[in-house]
Amino acid sequence: MLEFDGLTRRFGAVVALDNLSFVVEAGQVFDFLGPNGAGKTTAMRAVFALIGIDSGVVRWNGVPVTSDARRKFGYMPEERGLYPGMRIGDQLIYIGRLHGMSTIDAHHATEAWLTRLGLADRARDKVESLSHGNQQRVQLTAALLHSPELLILDEPLAGLDPTGIDEIGAILVEQARAGCCVVFSSHQLDQVEDLCDSVIIIDHGRLVVTGRVDDLANSGARRLVVRIEGDRTGDWAHGVSNVTVSEVTGGEVRLILGEDVDTDDVLEAARRAGRVTEFVMQRRRMSEVFREALQ
Amino acid sequence: MKSVKFIAIIVLIIIVASLRVWRRRRRRAQASGPVHVARVPRRGFVTGDVALVMSRELRERIRGRFYLFGTAIILLVVAAAIVIPVIHRSKAQSENIGVVGTLPPATRSWMVTLAHDEGATARFVTVSTLAQVKTSLADGHIDFAVVGDRELVVNTLFSSSDVSTTASVVQAIATRLGDERALAAAHLSSQQAAVLARAGPLPIVALHHGATKGVNATSLIGVILIFIMLSQYNTWLLIGVMEEKSSRVIEVLLAAVRPVKLLSGKVLGIGLAALLQASVVVAFALILSKAVGSDVLHGTGPLEIIATLVWLVLGYSLYCWIYAAAGSMAERQDQVQSLALPLSLPLIAGYIVSLTSASAASPSLLLKIFAYIPFTAPFAMTVLVGFGAVAWWQFATSVAITLVTTYAVARLATGIYRRAILRTGSRVRLRDFRGS
Repeated sequence: MLEFDGLTRRFGAVVALDNLSFVVEAGQVFDFLGPNGAGKTTAMRAVFALIGIDSGVVRWNGVPVTSDARRKFGYMPEERGLYPGMRIGDQLIYIGRLHGMSTIDAHHATEAWLTRLGLADRARDKVESLSHGNQQRVQLTAALLHSPELLILDEPLAGLDPTGIDEIGAILVEQARAGCCVVFSSHQLDQVEDLCDSVIIIDHGRLVVTGRVDDLANSGARRLVVRIEGDRTGDWAHGVSNVTVSEVTGGEVRLILGEDVDTDDVLEAARRAGRVTEFVMQRRRMSEVFREALQ
Repeated sequence: MKSVKFIAIIVLIIIVASLRVWRRRRRRAQASGPVHVARVPRRGFVTGDVALVMSRELRERIRGRFYLFGTAIILLVVAAAIVIPVIHRSKAQSENIGVVGTLPPATRSWMVTLAHDEGATARFVTVSTLAQVKTSLADGHIDFAVVGDRELVVNTLFSSSDVSTTASVVQAIATRLGDERALAAAHLSSQQAAVLARAGPLPIVALHHGATKGVNATSLIGVILIFIMLSQYNTWLLIGVMEEKSSRVIEVLLAAVRPVKLLSGKVLGIGLAALLQASVVVAFALILSKAVGSDVLHGTGPLEIIATLVWLVLGYSLYCWIYAAAGSMAERQDQVQSLALPLSLPLIAGYIVSLTSASAASPSLLLKIFAYIPFTAPFAMTVLVGFGAVAWWQFATSVAITLVTTYAVARLATGIYRRAILRTGSRVRLRDFRGS
């Protein structure tokens, strides 16, 4: 269990972390959300003592994190970090060894992960010769190689194509199911919704909201998606009382319903505008949870 | 026959045991896979993380093209410095001496000796007349002619500044022939003449050992080697630390290793690469010099070689921390260049003063002072050793001062490194640490 307890960090007049406290249970995929400059990276770096904190403590399994404990953690920084001119295989073995693995274990783990990620034939190549996506895969391997108890990944999905996101997402879920505590940050809120068990949203270094994805999605105002043949604007909905148009995409109108709104009234209004081809109640998306939390 | 059987059995046992160990380790590694791996606890400072970082640095540096190419270039230069003089010496110039009349065998003998002393081989050509002398000189068949004991004839008169072999041989033979003629005119016996011919200056005995013999060539080469290596390897360190920072790999490393261990491993690895290169160069020079019979390293004693290597190690130990700290403050190549210049000033000052003093007959006062300043001692003390102008306790004192300074500098530098290495954006300046 990872525990942030009252973390505070100031950079001059800027407050990066403001008495931030939350807990991440082991075996979970935990998404760290927040606008740019909210303090996500600072909080993640605090776990590895890459940044000093003014007050507070980070605990792992109830004990303040030590350098020995950190050796069992895996880390993927926001700005990727590998030796550009070093061979991929050698580099991964080196990082594995730094995390306490024996040479032979590091060698075999490197082989196994590179094979899984389709990079087995590139082990003798230099990192700089790889594409962005493959460099990302190697960077993830560096964090996973030693089978960490805690995996902290800063924007691991940034710059990846949908296949890459699915591939890395599957690995993160698999790690969590194997007992690892997976914490990552991402701006692709709706894409990662299926990956995460829980999320935390912070802003200006302060906790805004945290909870399980299902709980957050099912809470708040109801969402209704309506599609009417030939309608591209959703203007018909503006006349329905206590209903707000959240977004209109390709003729699909997403509505936020007030507490006392009867869906039959909405359906009636829709029918008056044309032939209704879609009328579905939906959960809150993570992007909506995010936006509404920060409002 | 029994012993052969015994050896065969032992070899078989070793092979079987090795195979079993290998298979067991392989099975264990395969069983571990990427999910469950056994961790090796590493607590020691030198045997754990430091050794890992050090071996990576050493391996990557030695494998690099710059290292291999640089070593090859240095070895080529050293080989040229040793072999070219030997080739030049072996191709001794031939001096064709025209002889008008007769020359006694004894005279011919000392003429051969004199010519050899000047690096030439004397060959005598009989010339019957003066007219033939002129023709032979004009044609180049002879270099000069000895006409009885009266005169030497040359094509054109040598200037006083002419240092050619022919001019030297002509001058030496003319002087000796003049002496011989004077001795003959004095009607001395051959024994008396021989005694006079062997006359030499009296030995000068000093009451105290002075340092007036000039610096040993080995120490001079050592100073040049130290300067090249300190400049090269400290710059590598500066750029290496900067690259780790700019490529952000530093965050991945520091997530697992403490900064002081990472830095220690890095300076040790690059230092070992430097020492290895220096050792290869020194060993190559000594072996080649011995093989071709070169006198470039003539008189080289173990003291000069050891002193050079000691000061190379001490110099690197001192400067490496400063360069590493500076590297942690930079993030781009242009920032590295602006940092490298002021850092290299004490290196250059020590090098120039030592090199200038080395060409003098005795060590200057400035050189003696520089020998006790840690930043210039690697050059100055090496030259003082070459002069033979340093007692063991003076050497030890300088080493002690340098070691104490190195300790203080290392502590300061690791503090700067720890604070600066993770700070990105604009270049970190020393004043940023004030009060932190």
